[in-house]
Amino acid sequence: MKKFLIITGCVTVTALAVSCSSRNPGRAYMPDMADSRAYETYAPVQERLDASATPGAQFHGGPVEGTIARGDMLGSKLLKDTIGSYASSAGIKNPLAAGSVDLKEAERLYLVNCGICHGPKLDGNGPLWKDGNGPYPAAPKNLMGDDMKATSEGTIFHVATYGKGQMGSYASQLSTKQRWEVVAYIKSKQFPAGSTAKADSTAPKAAADSTKAAVK
Amino acid sequence: MIPCKPTATKLTLFILSLVVFTAFNKVSAQDGKALFQAKCQSCHNIFKDLTGPALMGLEERHTWSDHKELLAWINNPGGYMAKDAYTTGLKAKFGSVMTGFPDVTLKDVDAIVSYINSEVANRNKQPQGEQTGEAVSKSSSQNAVIFGVISLILAIIAMVLMQVNSNLKKMSDDAEGIERPEPVPFYRNKVYIAMIAIFFFIVGGYFVTKGAIGLQRQVNYEPKQPIYYSHKVHAGINQINCLYCHGNAWESKSAAIPSVNVCMNCHKAIQSYEKGPKLYDEDGNEINGTAEIQKLYKYAGFDPKNAAAWDPSKAKPIEWVKIHNLPDHVFFSHAQHVRAGNVQCQTCHGEITAMDEVKQVSELSMGWCVNCHRQTKVQFNYDSTKGNQFYSIYEKFHNDIKNGKMDSVTVKDIGGLECQKCHY
Repeated sequence: MKKFLIITGCVTVTALAVSCSSRNPGRAYMPDMADSRAYETYAPVQERLDASATPGAQFHGGPVEGTIARGDMLGSKLLKDTIGSYASSAGIKNPLAAGSVDLKEAERLYLVNCGICHGPKLDGNGPLWKDGNGPYPAAPKNLMGDDMKATSEGTIFHVATYGKGQMGSYASQLSTKQRWEVVAYIKSKQFPAGSTAKADSTAPKAAADSTKAAVK
Repeated sequence: MIPCKPTATKLTLFILSLVVFTAFNKVSAQDGKALFQAKCQSCHNIFKDLTGPALMGLEERHTWSDHKELLAWINNPGGYMAKDAYTTGLKAKFGSVMTGFPDVTLKDVDAIVSYINSEVANRNKQPQGEQTGEAVSKSSSQNAVIFGVISLILAIIAMVLMQVNSNLKKMSDDAEGIERPEPVPFYRNKVYIAMIAIFFFIVGGYFVTKGAIGLQRQVNYEPKQPIYYSHKVHAGINQINCLYCHGNAWESKSAAIPSVNVCMNCHKAIQSYEKGPKLYDEDGNEINGTAEIQKLYKYAGFDPKNAAAWDPSKAKPIEWVKIHNLPDHVFFSHAQHVRAGNVQCQTCHGEITAMDEVKQVSELSMGWCVNCHRQTKVQFNYDSTKGNQFYSIYEKFHNDIKNGKMDSVTVKDIGGLECQKCHY
């Protein structure tokens, strides 16, 4: 009888050892070649930043200030518009040539980043608003409205870069070029081919505007 | 009867006027709703401070009970503010001046205010939602323990019965005077011992092998994250595209972990969790969604009461726990799979839109990779002008497909099983 107890005990212990919690990542055997010695994306950075203070260290936490990614465009030099007149941004033209924008890619970017609030049809009724039934408490702007049709490319770009009202900045999610592509897409939807009446009624107003060119 | 008549007429008149009045009132509230939706709700919510203040109880503030004053403010906020301290204070609090609506009339203001008041009254009428905490369903592990205990008890009973049986047999043999040799107890019986040894060898071998293969594989790994973030609520119910937060999956090796400002794009406005199902974590504890959003604000340095003062550059990163880990000696690129290969996120990550807490669904073992590379058909474009140009250099395959020699190309055919594709 005693031996039987010992055997049952052994079985229970093994069973417990095997059934480990899903909160636990498990074990590794000799992970020498599994852990990277080089810096990998999202590896902890603070230790290396501290070490980089020593002379000869070859680590930098981010891109050098003022550099732009390969294939991207020069960013906007305007600072955030704090007055709300958007006078300085209104005059900026889309630097991408009209025919050069891949509207299919631009549509993808719009649907991923903007459609969630402004709606796949640009009517300001995305899944987060859903006629007021979604979780978002403020009504997103109807991009097909007359006021938005009158808003210039430069201002839409400026708002995508810095945000406005409840909308945040999309500069971290969309590169300068991608933002201009989205602007071109919005304009192409507002004025489908044929209707060339591209109203730019928001002509630059009086000079009372805080957005001066950033001096850097 | 005659004296009654005037009273009756009066009564009918009164009722009629009441009906007309309420009908009018309703019409104006409806107009107010349309006006509110058209003009106000981009910046104002009735119950919450957003870009502008909450409009609930509007008439009790400042001089707004006089709708003419309110109209003057709405028509020309800049001009009104110049000689008014209260609205100047509002600008300081919310960080921006209200957009002017010169076309709004006094009638419009009345309609909007009556709509707001009716909404407030509606909300006060509604009973507070009953917070009946549902009993948390017993998790399956508890069931397993119960089954284990039951089978253990049954096994002991069986052993006892067997013992009783042999004792009884011995007693009956004694009574009948049959002489039998002393039976060998089961733990000295060689057949028993051999059977048990083989059984343990097989079972032990199975678990040892399984454990050894599973070293550094993390299927079902479901770590506790610093914030309870439900992919089900975000990507499932609210249909946020995976690439909204993980946009780098389209462009680079690793799919991005969104920075705090991406969360705050929506959560600047969505400050509480109200319209979704109840949330439970892996261990069955109920989660308070609003408290989890508060945790985000702590990282972001965001004060919901003073939203205009928020500085995104002061946000601290959230240290999410990485779930899907590949060893360093294998190369994997999200862009290659998502963009060139048109593979859906769910193919490897499972039904993310149904997971509250994400867990690793795929094995991420080499066998798993290779199997998929053997079976998956490459989305070759058969037109040289449009579509996925990534595979345009495989001229031979394109010709073979055109001539009917092949009907499809798998990843294996374009070198998906070459060692150097992933190990170099």
